[in-house]
Amino acid sequence: LDKSSVPTPRHHVRVYDEEENDVTPQPLHQGECGAGPIKNNRFFLDEISAGLSVDQMTTTGSSFSLPFSRSILSSSKFSSQSSIDSVNLETEEGFSKRDLPIHIPDAQSKKSSPVKEEVTEENLDELLDVFLSETDTISLLDLPSCFVSSEAEDAQIVTERNKKYAELCKNKAGNEKYMERSVQTLDPPVKHKLVESDSVNTAEAGTFVSTWEMFDSLCGLEQDASVRTESEQEQVGTETLLSSSRAEHSTSLGSSSGTESVTSSMKDLESLELLSVSETDLQLLLSSDTFHHSLLAMERSLVANCLQRKLAAFRLLPVLPDPYVAPPSETPEEEQAQKSPEPEVSGPALVHLWSFTCELTQGRRVNSMVWNKKNPDLLAVGYGASESSSSPGLVCCWSLKNITWPERVVSCDSPVTALDFSVKNPSQLAVGMEDGTVMICNVQTHHSSSSSSHFLHSRQCPNKHVEPVLQLKWTLQEISLREDTDEALVSVATDGRVCKWLSPTVDSHMMRLKRVKSAKRSSSSENKGETKPENILSALTPGMCFHFHPKGPVINVWWSPLCSDVFLSCSSDWTVQLWKEERFTPALSFSSAHRAVLDAQWSPKAATVFGVVNEDRLEIWDLQHSILDPLLVWAAPPSVSLTSLLFTSHTDCALVGDNSGQVSVYLLSEVYSAQGTQAEALEEIIQASLSR
Amino acid sequence: MAEVEETLKRIQSQKGVQGIVIANSEGIPIKSTLDNSSTVQYAALIHQLLLKARSTVRDIDPQNDLTFLRVRSKKNEIMIAPDKDYFLIVIQNPSD
Repeated sequence: LDKSSVPTPRHHVRVYDEEENDVTPQPLHQGECGAGPIKNNRFFLDEISAGLSVDQMTTTGSSFSLPFSRSILSSSKFSSQSSIDSVNLETEEGFSKRDLPIHIPDAQSKKSSPVKEEVTEENLDELLDVFLSETDTISLLDLPSCFVSSEAEDAQIVTERNKKYAELCKNKAGNEKYMERSVQTLDPPVKHKLVESDSVNTAEAGTFVSTWEMFDSLCGLEQDASVRTESEQEQVGTETLLSSSRAEHSTSLGSSSGTESVTSSMKDLESLELLSVSETDLQLLLSSDTFHHSLLAMERSLVANCLQRKLAAFRLLPVLPDPYVAPPSETPEEEQAQKSPEPEVSGPALVHLWSFTCELTQGRRVNSMVWNKKNPDLLAVGYGASESSSSPGLVCCWSLKNITWPERVVSCDSPVTALDFSVKNPSQLAVGMEDGTVMICNVQTHHSSSSSSHFLHSRQCPNKHVEPVLQLKWTLQEISLREDTDEALVSVATDGRVCKWLSPTVDSHMMRLKRVKSAKRSSSSENKGETKPENILSALTPGMCFHFHPKGPVINVWWSPLCSDVFLSCSSDWTVQLWKEERFTPALSFSSAHRAVLDAQWSPKAATVFGVVNEDRLEIWDLQHSILDPLLVWAAPPSVSLTSLLFTSHTDCALVGDNSGQVSVYLLSEVYSAQGTQAEALEEIIQASLSR
Repeated sequence: MAEVEETLKRIQSQKGVQGIVIANSEGIPIKSTLDNSSTVQYAALIHQLLLKARSTVRDIDPQNDLTFLRVRSKKNEIMIAPDKDYFLIVIQNPSD
């Protein structure tokens, strides 16, 4: 044994296997490393010196038949079983019965691997006593031969077997039947080895790719792609620094869509921490334009939900019942409203659909109403003064889509008396006021604060009106030099002047049309004393002068839209007169109530139907039905007096404004007969009446 | 800003409106007129629905996008106005 196993207390044992690799086990605990193998070593030697006189023949069957050198390397676990080591030597003898010729060379080669002991610095100066003694011979393997007498019974069999074996040995080399194969008979003892290392931080990021995300990344977001990748990289970097628990959070949210998955998971973690959004972000969000738009859409949808039936009736659509509303829960008014569009109502009737009103318009007198030329759902209403509010005049643009709040609100310095939408520029609204100012505002841009830059005033104009503007009209005129028609704004005021405002964008140019001497027609400008306000209202041509009511101031004049030379005039002498062109006396006269007629208007759908507004009644006349009595009369509520009237052109409704700021919409059901009465019918009636 | 508040008040006072919830793009509610538990529930559930609806619309045509979503149920109607940064939910029962 080349192992000079000197019982030195501390030595670091280095172990090398046959390839001279250092397979020294690294001890976990430095304290006991030296003691274990040494102890084991000593133990083993004692056993060996004691000889092989151990009787314990435990056939553990395990491969503890270790070569000598390896036993040195064993762990403490093995050292406890070192008593069995000597037994293994015995068992090796038992193994000798088997044919294990292969392992002997291995064992021998293992035996010769050296064990080097390291000499530390401290031990160099020590004096060591070295004792050398000879150990007994250790027999590792002893395979005694087995002799069989040639005269035994099975001698023949044994001889045969021997011969076969010899042949086998001869044929073994190079024989295909046999293959060299190593078998491990050793089962090295297991040693627990713990390794410490830095934990690898992982972060999961998931994204769900769909066609539109690819589209987005290709087309839409190229501009800020560079910005976004930078921010994403920052965020990915910060994510990897997070602890594993937060990484779990990000994985659970990673299923959310898109390129925002990384950013959103990051934000979500922040929000989970903070659980609140900062105030400034909220403000920013709420004041953004898209939020305004969303609010607008939402409000309109809400209103439409409530008013579904009324709006359907307005547009003459069939009214469908709500399948989920139980019939008994309907109030009787709803049932009535539901039934009225159906032909169960006998005869013509006025059905109140809704009212345009809001708190801004409470208590204001409705002075003028006009539909937009381009968008027939847009209504502009001019209001006068109210006692409670600050601005003396108000113009509201109402849309049918939202009847609870006007789309645009323009407050003016004086009560509004006249309105008209332009034909050529449908978003321009001309406003005439009580102090004589004519203003043009653009209703297209939504401005929250009334910036006067959008408006054009006539205040700086030297020839402006100083009296209340009674009527405004945009008229199309043909310019001689050009072929297209130009639009001019004509206004009439109480001071008797008719002003034409050419090129409305620049309100400096103004031409004066004299009321008295018109080039076209000779007028009877009599009744000057009595007719104070006069209106010139022409749907077709400007510059015509008209005859006047004999008795009272004419309040309004309307041409018939279907019959080109007939017009109506209403005045405060309680009558409505029907005039025909070129006649100086009215053709027909209508009076039904002893009240001043405030407004009268032809219905755009039938030539013989017109509406009249007294102070307290709305009357619908149908000349075919009767020329003495109105067809329908609707009395206003007691505290309210009606002030203006407007028909709708595309549906059978009439709008009535009153002095409390409400504009009510009424459906004229059954008023129009199946075939539209045309101009001929009107002519016939007029002729019939004239001939009497 | 005041106008936005006014509009929200008007919406709240419309007939049958039960509640308004405004949530940010991750489904965290930022403003609401309902109680806390309902708010959180609505915001989370509607957020899921919005993602699905939006991806549906855009999968069919990537140039298209969702602008408004209405869910009509027996008892009420939920109207959702989505956007990139937020979504607005209004619950209304029009027969109230």
